[in-house]
Amino acid sequence: MNKEQEEKKDEQSNASSLVQKIQSLGQTNVPQAPDSNIHVLSIIGQVEGHVQLPPQNKTTKYEHIIPQLIAIEQNPKIEGVVILLNTVGGDVEAGLALSEMIASMSKPTVSIVLGGGHSIGVPIAVSTDYSFIVPTATMTVHPVRLTGLVIGVPQTFEYLDKMQDRVIQFVVNHSNIKEEVFKDLMFAKGNLTRDIGTNVVGTDAVEHGLIDEVGGVSNAMKKLNELIDNNRGNESQVIQ
Amino acid sequence: MILYTPLSQSDIFPPSDEGFKNRECISYDGKMMIADKNLDGSYQMVQLLSTDPQDFLKFSPGSILN
Repeated sequence: MNKEQEEKKDEQSNASSLVQKIQSLGQTNVPQAPDSNIHVLSIIGQVEGHVQLPPQNKTTKYEHIIPQLIAIEQNPKIEGVVILLNTVGGDVEAGLALSEMIASMSKPTVSIVLGGGHSIGVPIAVSTDYSFIVPTATMTVHPVRLTGLVIGVPQTFEYLDKMQDRVIQFVVNHSNIKEEVFKDLMFAKGNLTRDIGTNVVGTDAVEHGLIDEVGGVSNAMKKLNELIDNNRGNESQVIQ
Repeated sequence: MILYTPLSQSDIFPPSDEGFKNRECISYDGKMMIADKNLDGSYQMVQLLSTDPQDFLKFSPGSILN
């Protein structure tokens, strides 16, 4: 008990001496780092859609991300965004919504796939102006599937087929991969246990044209600053 | 016991929400964050919902918010 009390007293005297120092220096606030002109958005765990996942799951919720993207777009101090991906995939429509939001932003965006950018992580990764993948990261490309209660009518399958087409079209439009190549990866046999699809590793993703470059944080920041400089150039031209 | 099933684990063993009952999405110092409410009314931060990298230097998961 005595020891604890002594420790507490010590802590208090330390805190008060700190306050005294601040008082004697005439400053109350600690100098802060300048605001960053680059913001970071991490897509982690599962991309959560309309159904809330059990709280044990790490999720990226679209209702959190979408307003943040709008705030980034509106804030003149923010000049660029880095998207960090380490996701297993998730809800197709929520993922496509995020991808479209990122793709339609006027500010430069760069993505880095770290660890994994699986299934719906693929369109999110390619939605940015320039995409990076670290050499050890993987991306699983596979067909769209549905869990839960499904109404067993042909229309359901047509709906799923259309949903898959939307994903394919988005990826093809926003990356350098050819539609045939992407479909070949999607429907390949023997790569995944008991499933069709392909697990594309870092350098392979770049060779297929899915991702722009193999690289990590420094490459991404360099590229983003380059894009920001170009963007500034365009803006000044408009003003003139 | 080995279960061979296409069902997800959560369908067979429904997750208990016991440990997550006091989890809330709060605004602290103008920042959105997910935090657990402690018995004494303070909050313990779980996840920061921000895109500003500087915020991650200020707040860290596990810290107590008063």
